[in-house]
Amino acid sequence: MATTTATITMSSTDLLSDELALSTTATLTTAGTSTGLTGTAGLARKTVSGSHAQYTLFDGSDYTADKAHKLYLKNTSTTAAEYFLITVNAEDVGRLYAGDWALIPWSAHDNDCDIKIDPSANDMTLEYMLLTDD
Amino acid sequence: MATTTAAVTLTSDLLSDNMSVSASTTCMKAGTTADGLDQMEYGYVEIASGTAYDIIGNTPTASKASKLYIKNHSTDETYYISVVLDAQAIGKLYGGDWMFIPADFHDANADVEITATGGTNKICYALFHEGTTLVAS
Repeated sequence: MATTTATITMSSTDLLSDELALSTTATLTTAGTSTGLTGTAGLARKTVSGSHAQYTLFDGSDYTADKAHKLYLKNTSTTAAEYFLITVNAEDVGRLYAGDWALIPWSAHDNDCDIKIDPSANDMTLEYMLLTDD
Repeated sequence: MATTTAAVTLTSDLLSDNMSVSASTTCMKAGTTADGLDQMEYGYVEIASGTAYDIIGNTPTASKASKLYIKNHSTDETYYISVVLDAQAIGKLYGGDWMFIPADFHDANADVEITATGGTNKICYALFHEGTTLVAS
């Protein structure tokens, strides 16, 4: 079986009066099991050319519902004010500003549960990878 | 300003060659490189199966660059929490899973709700933000 791990490390020496250090690793498995995820939509890079508009990154109807999919996103922009607004099923999740990344669990619970991105400027580039539980 | 960094590494052997992806970001306030996120909430809760719970009690300032980390510390892989934003199901965090997402809190209904399934789930969370509307006493 494939083994996919995701490690996050967060640190700050001056956010609190004491040092913040957090690190944890998850082995990404299929829903409710210890079996590793075996599918991926690949590591990809998308530049939204021309005038900016909302763009469907993943269509909920293409993936098995109520599973343990994981989505990695990174905004490669170096212009601080530029962000991608991330929506799931038409709900605004958040703004991914320049250099920011995210790891989002996605259940694709019905056909409307699309993941969409809306860049705040023209010609912005997003890196992404979907690890699928099919 | 506070400097908080968040780094991720994804590794896998699910392809014919090994894969490793890494990224790191400094958590900044919206649209700036000069000022880092300087406020946070950090908590640990145990949530009984079937219980729905708003994990963030106060309302952070809307449409900023807030970041939300949640980890399910349950060791039973059949346990999970459903993460719901403004009544829309986003995904499920099974035992051992974590997530790190931008959080918009775009209006008063944009709560982050989690519902536990399988048993009592042990949840750790941290919200990095620019300010909240505190609940009056």
